[in-house]
Amino acid sequence: MKNVLIIGSGISGLSCAIKCAELGICTTLVSPFPSERSQSVMAAGGINAVLSDNNENDSVESHIEDTLKGGCYLGGKKAVTGLCGRAEEIIGFLERIGTVFSVNRLNRPIKRAFGGQSHKRTCYCGSSTGKQIVSALVMEARKYEAAGLIKRRLWSDFHSALIRDGKCYGALLYVESSGALEAVCADAVVIATGGQNAVFGKTTGSTQCDGYTAGKLFMQGVDLKNLEFIQYHPTTLETPQKKMLVSEAVRGEGGRLFYNDKGRRVYFMEEKYGSRGNLMTRDIISREIFMADREVFLDISFLDKKLIDGRLPEVRDLCQKYRGIDISKKSIPVAPSVHFFMGGIAVHLDHETNIRDLYAVGECASMYHGANRLGGNSLLAAIYSGWVAAETIAGKESSGKTEDFSGTVEKETAALKSKMNTKSNFPVMYVRDMLAGTMCSKLGIVRNSSALDEGMRDIDYYLSVADKINYDPSVLPYFNYSLKGILTLSKAIIACAMNRTESRGAHYRSDHPESKDELCCSTIISYNNEDLRVRFDKEHEYES
Amino acid sequence: MKVKILRQQSPVTEPYWEAFLYDGPQNNTVAGLLDYLNYNDDITDINGNKTTRIGWECSCLQGMCGGCAMVINEVPALACETFLKDLRGDEISIRPLRKFPVIHDLVVDRSVIQENLMRSDIFIGDYQPSEYKDKEHQYSLAKCLKCGLCLEVCPNYVNGKTFFGALFANDCYLVSARNTAKGKDIKKIYNEHFGKHCSKSLACMDICPMKIQTIASIAKMNSYR
Repeated sequence: MKNVLIIGSGISGLSCAIKCAELGICTTLVSPFPSERSQSVMAAGGINAVLSDNNENDSVESHIEDTLKGGCYLGGKKAVTGLCGRAEEIIGFLERIGTVFSVNRLNRPIKRAFGGQSHKRTCYCGSSTGKQIVSALVMEARKYEAAGLIKRRLWSDFHSALIRDGKCYGALLYVESSGALEAVCADAVVIATGGQNAVFGKTTGSTQCDGYTAGKLFMQGVDLKNLEFIQYHPTTLETPQKKMLVSEAVRGEGGRLFYNDKGRRVYFMEEKYGSRGNLMTRDIISREIFMADREVFLDISFLDKKLIDGRLPEVRDLCQKYRGIDISKKSIPVAPSVHFFMGGIAVHLDHETNIRDLYAVGECASMYHGANRLGGNSLLAAIYSGWVAAETIAGKESSGKTEDFSGTVEKETAALKSKMNTKSNFPVMYVRDMLAGTMCSKLGIVRNSSALDEGMRDIDYYLSVADKINYDPSVLPYFNYSLKGILTLSKAIIACAMNRTESRGAHYRSDHPESKDELCCSTIISYNNEDLRVRFDKEHEYES
Repeated sequence: MKVKILRQQSPVTEPYWEAFLYDGPQNNTVAGLLDYLNYNDDITDINGNKTTRIGWECSCLQGMCGGCAMVINEVPALACETFLKDLRGDEISIRPLRKFPVIHDLVVDRSVIQENLMRSDIFIGDYQPSEYKDKEHQYSLAKCLKCGLCLEVCPNYVNGKTFFGALFANDCYLVSARNTAKGKDIKKIYNEHFGKHCSKSLACMDICPMKIQTIASIAKMNSYR
């Protein structure tokens, strides 16, 4: 029986594990914490799907076109066609495993309008869609855990992949309880570690998603793609501990953006883009808020309180709890914040990377969303990509080839020990904080070459000290050994942003404000002995 | 503000109290306070002596993941939604949950929660739902964070060996509502690991960050024949 190692146990990792189990493949789900702590539980608004019984004259073709257009035509057409084509099947699966969708009298999922979409096609569970899906997937995975097809491995952190001659043989894990590195071999490894949030400090997402896995794999020869496309969600709420997402569901239910000017409310999105202005794509709205350069509010207070309670209870509670705002009476002060990463690990249509038997799924992989993701497509892509990887693995003959990695384990263990056996406590988290400061200020909603140059200089400096500093013994070793991978990933993000001398989707350059037809292709970045090579994928090598 | 934290370097070492001085913003939560202490220059105790950074678990920082459950001023709660302004007195005490083994400082091992659900087969199997009427209750149940606060306050829960607590009762109901054929088996398991031990203090409902009405699940499970 095949044995697959899945790193990450959020929605994409769980979906992959469940599909593998359905296909008779044994998987090990690795994560420091249980699925309930994954970032997936924070997804709020919904999941896009054209259902056969829709009465909106919606079509799968329309979903495909909206997705491609929203992504400024950088999402691969074949990939997006596959994604949208199986959306109804995915909703059916989620219903069968007990996801509590918001439904009509016939018990069919109801839909809300979301940004950048020509039809109402976002199925949802109140405003906690991600959490409801995670709960259902956890329960479904438990069935296969009981049958021995899924094994969970908690308190283990990814260290590196076991790669030799362009093939992946497994992964090296750091075991928190023993402090040891352990080589775990597998027929295939699936990376499902989410976005790169912590590179930007505290974003709307989880503190656990730090991009290290992508950064480390990059250093091991895995191509990354489209890193410059970082989604700023237009509506987040400032609190002392982080910026919290105010779901797009609020605008989907009719919420209106405005600012005050001399005592008058200016509904700037509607004035500029017409009646659907508040449901423009996230890149456009974030940019408009940035350009407005004043405090912006989101008003939903005009909606019937019962509807607020029924459809937006989590948004209502969040605003009340953290800012004392009753959204049925007052407008919500909002500002854009880093939210989602369209870029990540480059994968082919079957979700395999440029390294054989190494796959990436969910937000850590770059495939469907191009230059800007539509709300409601991330949950869809998380599940779909997990399925595709599982089905690809199932369809492949196992080579059965094994390699001896004991030398690698010894070498990496010695490296870890030599760093840890120090009395120095140079605070690694300071470097992380400085990095977040650099990334937020140099890779904002509007970018330019001089800011990017400064960002690159900063990161080069952090990298120059990363090898010299000793480990901080008062934080988990993971935080220490992950630093270089995170810094290298950050450098790659800036290199991609420098290389794209145009504006497209979420990447807006004030020094190159126009889009260029010749740059309507993905960015690929490779690593070779600390050298970064950025190129445009004009031949569409990752479209196959 | 003086902050006392019950610390423990590893699962096998002895716990000890350590005091810190917090001079950060007062509109913070306890999660924000812990971050402030950890990353505000070198970490020192209240006497200015250098010490190690405080271990605690977090992910979402907004009451959606349950990672930061701990005991604050002797009340179990999520650190990310406990505001300093709501705490009484000018001293705060923070300790790890008491019903789970400590791994490091405020980080505890709650894997018994998942293990108990797995070994008692709490999964749907064939989807044959019975009641559409109580979608609202099911929606609420599926929001369970598995944070362990309900177990921490329960007078009947000890270590999860026989009595599995409120979160188990709620998941039992979720399964029986979705697979009527499995209802009998689930009722038996429910009785064995919940029904016959629960003394109905209902402290679990007062403490639940998601406000889950466990009493409704109990009523539905008890009414099942």
